[in-house]
Amino acid sequence: MRFGGIDVGSLTAQAVVVENGRITGSKSIGVRPNPVESAETVLGMLLSELGLRHQDISYIVSTGYGREQVQAKGLAHANVSEISCHGVGAVWLLPGVRTIIDIGGQDAKVIRMDASGELKDFVMNDKCAAGTGRFLEVMCRTLGITLDELGTLSLKARNPVGLSSRCSIFCETEVLHYLQRGTDKADIAASVNRAMAERVAALARRVGVEPEVTMSGGVAKNGAVKSELERILGVRMVPCPVDPQIVGALGAAVLARKMGGER
Amino acid sequence: MEDAIRLAGDILNSHLEEWRRAGGRIVGYTCVATPREIMDAAGILPYRIRALGKPERELADAYLSRFNCGFCRACLQLGLDGTYDFLDGLVENNGCDHLRGMFEDWQYAKDPAFFHYLRVPHTVSEEALEFFAEELELFREALGRHFQVDISDASLAEAMERSNRTREKLRELFSLREGERPALTGRQAMAVILLESSLPPAVFEDYLARFLEESERNEVRGYRARLLLAGSATDELALVGEIEDVGGLVVSDALCYGTRAFWNLPRLAGDPIHALAEAYLKHLLCPRMFDDYATRLDYVLRTARRARVDGAVLVHNKFCDLHGVENVRLRLDLEEAGIPVLVLEKEYGSGADLGRIRTRIQAFLERIGG
Ligand code: SF4
Repeated sequence: MRFGGIDVGSLTAQAVVVENGRITGSKSIGVRPNPVESAETVLGMLLSELGLRHQDISYIVSTGYGREQVQAKGLAHANVSEISCHGVGAVWLLPGVRTIIDIGGQDAKVIRMDASGELKDFVMNDKCAAGTGRFLEVMCRTLGITLDELGTLSLKARNPVGLSSRCSIFCETEVLHYLQRGTDKADIAASVNRAMAERVAALARRVGVEPEVTMSGGVAKNGAVKSELERILGVRMVPCPVDPQIVGALGAAVLARKMGGER
Repeated sequence: MEDAIRLAGDILNSHLEEWRRAGGRIVGYTCVATPREIMDAAGILPYRIRALGKPERELADAYLSRFNCGFCRACLQLGLDGTYDFLDGLVENNGCDHLRGMFEDWQYAKDPAFFHYLRVPHTVSEEALEFFAEELELFREALGRHFQVDISDASLAEAMERSNRTREKLRELFSLREGERPALTGRQAMAVILLESSLPPAVFEDYLARFLEESERNEVRGYRARLLLAGSATDELALVGEIEDVGGLVVSDALCYGTRAFWNLPRLAGDPIHALAEAYLKHLLCPRMFDDYATRLDYVLRTARRARVDGAVLVHNKFCDLHGVENVRLRLDLEEAGIPVLVLEKEYGSGADLGRIRTRIQAFLERIGG
C-alpha cells in the first residue's frame, strides 16, 4: 500500500509517497497563489514522475498552511498540524531524535518528541518574521546575495559585526549601515546568521533541548545557522538524511500510513 | 443562544439604546474589581468596556505606544473614534499600567463629564480593606454628586440582592457547561459574561433564566478534548470560536471575562460598603495582586479538576507583563499537576494571527491525544 503526504508551506510545497517503509518519491516546488493549487501541482508532478494516479495512493494526509482547504478539496483524507508532521517525519528518519528545530519561510518551531515517537511539547514563533526564513531572505536582498551564498559566505568571515536588534526591519537598517561603511559582506553575512540562530535558540530554550537534535525546513540547508545553533545550544545536530524541506510531507505520509491503517 | 452571541457581539446593543431613550445613564469601567452594585444602586447601568477583538488602532496609537497591550489600545481606539460616546462617564482603576494609560489618554482626549479614579489596593490586609472601603465611599459620593442621586444603604442592599441572585444562576449555568455533557460552548459562555456586563441588570436576569432553561436540554457534541482557558483580559469571541472550531471545547475558564468575574464571590450581606470591599478585594483573582499567586493557582487547579479538562490554554496579549509572567509559572505548576498546557502569546484581535493560533491549538490537541 502507498501513502502520501502533502505539505504546503508559505514559500514551498512538497509531496512525498511512502511504500513498504521506504520513500518512493518526493517533490518540492515554489508555492502557487493558493494552497490548493500548490498541493494539486506538487502532487500531480510527483505522481506523474512515479507513473501513478491519485487513486493508487491509499491514504493522504495534508499539512502546512492551507492543510484544511487541501483536505476539503478532496486531495487528502485528513489533515494534521505541521508541528506533529515535522516531529513524526524526523523521528521516522532518525529514531534517536528528541528535538527538532524546524525553520521554514515564516515559522520557526522547536518540537520535542518522546521515546515512543509522540509529540511531547513544542514552541512556535509569534507573528514576527525575525527568526524565520523570511528574515534571511530580506537580509540577502539587502546584501545582494542569494540564500545559498549567505551560508557559504559566512565561512569566510573574520570579524563578524554586532547586530543589536533581532527585528527584521531594524536589522535591515543596520546591515545597510555596515554596507555603506564598507564592511566586508562576509562579516555581515556571518552576523545575520548568528542573529538568526540566537533568536531560534531563545525559542528552543523555552521547551528545553534534549539530544539527539536535528533540523528540518529550508533554513536547515544554511550551514552557518546550523553551526551557530550548535555553538549556542551546546549540542551537535544529527544531519538530516534527506532534503530537510521534505520532512513535514514525509511525516504526513508516515501518519497517513498510521491513520489509513496499514497492517 | 445564538441570538445572545449576536447581541454580545455589539458594543452598543438594542437594550442599551432603549435604556438611553428612556433617560437611563451608563457608566463604563473595565476591571472586575469595580463593584457594579454601587452603580446599579444609583440606577446607573454599569457597562464593562470591551473591544471584542476589533483590530483598528490608528487613533489610539497617537497616545499609547505599540508596546502597550493591544486590548487597551483597542479599547482606547473605540473611546476616541466615538463608538463609546454613549457612555455618561468612566471609572478608571489601577488594574495595570496599560489600563491606566488607556483611561487617562481617553480622559485627556475626550474629557468625559464624569470621570472617577477608583483606587484598588494590591494586597489584602485589614488596612487595605479599610482603605478600599473608604475608596468605595468616595465612589458612592462622587456618583451621587454628579448624577444627583441618593445612593442609600437600602438601595445598595437591593442591588446586592440582585447580584446574589444573578451570580447564583450564573454558577448554575456554568456548572452545566462544565458537566460531563457540556450544555454550552466556550463561545456561548463568553457571550453570556459579555451580556451580563452590558445589559440592564434586570434584562440580563431574564436572559439568564432563558439560557438556563435552554441549557438544561442542550448537549454539545463532536469535540476532541475538553479545555480550560485562562490568562489575560480576553473578550475575543472569535478566538474562542477558533479554538472550538479545531475541536477543543472550552468547558471552563479562569478569565476575567469569564468565571473570575463571579464564581467565587461570596453572598453579599451586612453593611453594604464593607461587604462589597471584602468581596471584591479578597476575591480578586488577578496577577495585579501581590503575594497571592498560591490562591490563583489553587483557583485554576480547582477549576481544571472540577471541569475534568484534558488540557489548559493560557493566553496573554503581547506586552502584558502581568499575565506573561504569571503564565510561565502557571504552566510549570499545571504541568507538574499533570495538566498539559499550551501558552498562547497573541496580538490582540489580530485576524492575521488566527492561522498560527489554529496551528498551535491543533498541534496541542494532537499532543494531548484529542
Ligand atoms: S491584558 Fe495585561 S496589560 Fe492588558 S489590561 Fe490585562 S493585565 Fe493589563
